[in-house]
Amino acid sequence: MKFSIKGSLTIFLTIFSIFLVFLLNEDGEIPILFNLLTFAGIYGLAAIGLNVHFGLTGLLNFGHAAFMGFGAYVTVLLIPHAAGREGVVITTGLPFFLALLIGVISAALFGLLLGLPAIRLRGDYLAIVTIAAAEIFRLLVRDLESVTGGVYGIINFSSSLQQYRLGFIDNFASSNDLNPSQVFVAFLSWISIVLVLLLLRRLTNSPWGRALRAVREDEDAVRALGKNAVWLKLQSFMLGAGIAGLSGVLLAFNYGTIQVSTFVPILTFYVWAIMILGGVGSLTGPIFGSIIFWVIIGETNGIAQLIFENANGQQIAGVRFVLVGLLIMILMIFRPSGLMGKKEELLLDVK
Amino acid sequence: MSNKYLEVTNLKKSFGGIKAVDVESLNLNRNELTSIIGPNGAGKTTFFDLISGFQDSDEGKVYLNNKNISKSQPYAIARLGMIRTFQLTKVFDRMTVLENMMFSASTVNNDSFLKSLAKLPSQKTTEKKIRDKSFEIMKELNIDHMANSYAREMSGGQKKLLELGRSIINNPSVLLLDEPLAGVNPKLAEEILQIILNLAGKGISILMVEHNIEAVMKISERVIVLAEGKVIADSTPENIRTDQKVIEAYLGSENE
Repeated sequence: MKFSIKGSLTIFLTIFSIFLVFLLNEDGEIPILFNLLTFAGIYGLAAIGLNVHFGLTGLLNFGHAAFMGFGAYVTVLLIPHAAGREGVVITTGLPFFLALLIGVISAALFGLLLGLPAIRLRGDYLAIVTIAAAEIFRLLVRDLESVTGGVYGIINFSSSLQQYRLGFIDNFASSNDLNPSQVFVAFLSWISIVLVLLLLRRLTNSPWGRALRAVREDEDAVRALGKNAVWLKLQSFMLGAGIAGLSGVLLAFNYGTIQVSTFVPILTFYVWAIMILGGVGSLTGPIFGSIIFWVIIGETNGIAQLIFENANGQQIAGVRFVLVGLLIMILMIFRPSGLMGKKEELLLDVK
Repeated sequence: MSNKYLEVTNLKKSFGGIKAVDVESLNLNRNELTSIIGPNGAGKTTFFDLISGFQDSDEGKVYLNNKNISKSQPYAIARLGMIRTFQLTKVFDRMTVLENMMFSASTVNNDSFLKSLAKLPSQKTTEKKIRDKSFEIMKELNIDHMANSYAREMSGGQKKLLELGRSIINNPSVLLLDEPLAGVNPKLAEEILQIILNLAGKGISILMVEHNIEAVMKISERVIVLAEGKVIADSTPENIRTDQKVIEAYLGSENE
């Protein structure tokens, strides 16, 4: 493995962020860190999916939360669960891994469904349509209370997954004072990241990946050379949506409940921030971006207390977004290609 | 087989009240290097867009080798062997020159998702073949030393060469060149003209739009003059030079 300056810097920043967690917390560092790493894994996975859309193909997708939500809702509804105000328990359902597979495929098909009318739009127009579609999805889920539980959400579905929990995870959790369910979800998230990255490395270096990059660079030239750009974009949309669906399922199992308020636009923007931090178009970038991002989000308490004495909730929330915004601004000035992005392939100038 | 490769009848396109293209009938013959000239706004590029499928015509028919392509998508027309270039060069900036060439040489089948996922050995063989082919063409065009540079590092003229190379790698039967000499230094322009002549010599039917009248007159066998969307003259370069209508519409204004 080549060890570049940018790689070393990224790893240094990541380790520094983790070190910050220890510095800013007097006790319970390990559970806090583990909680952050779980979210980092899940959001990192979502950012990897977004990178297929934006980094690889140049599609401005601002509806990522809907793909995550679609995968999550389909999977959870297929396994035993309890939904709605009354919490009606449904005890029959598919085995978890089959439901997961269907959920991920449904998310990809949702990408296809949304893509069919929208994918011909370029640049900003696609962004507008995707953000609107994501809101439509969210409102539909909220209002179809008889199926999705509406604002009351869905509970009691975790055991379908947790029954597969491996012994060493329980041991690890109990010896470190951690929640074993969350450790298992974290474990699955990071395994998923490794598998998805291996898959994507194979695909991006292939003729298929080359064709997607060509679409990203100039759609007209692609069409003029006899390739169906619309179909290539749809394929990319489906792959990224599928990855998002997987991360949505993990997010639902991390919370243990599924709420419509989880899949709001801010989720999409978090994923965007992580991707930009990590480096647009870089395979591994989103992982580091995600860890650093979550340390900032999670540790704003500590940082806010360094700035204000007796910080209140409002101030903390303010500091949080100031910090993320500041970080992205600094990054855009000094490393516009993100931590791991290639300067030569800087992508933030969409046509 | 008839000698015509492209037949255009009654092709019309307007933008609002302006008739951009209004071509009653135009037949292009195989192995006859043909150029379209005309003042700015004459509808040359729109005409290219219409026959290559990048814009839909209001009415009219276009036949490529007796096949109706009036409603075809650009990629479908390209697959029939008619490849176009663009007035403003469209190279894949953030891909290497070699990748630019290989993407063009690769077939849809070779680009398939499943094949790429499975990393089939047949794909590897194809990749090697198109890589060799790409280097062959790049050598011919004298851009092989840039194979591993990003296309955006190339000069304007080199980009023109890359676009040309990308267009010819699959042995098209028809090439539509939209201002191949625009923004190119005189020495390179000379080279590009030679390349175009060589391609014509190899049996590729070439139709080009070009502003450089001297170059057009030098290499074309037939010159079509468009003005306000209409064909106002269609003849040999010698006749065009002396055509009164052309001098009024175009060459006259050049000397003002």
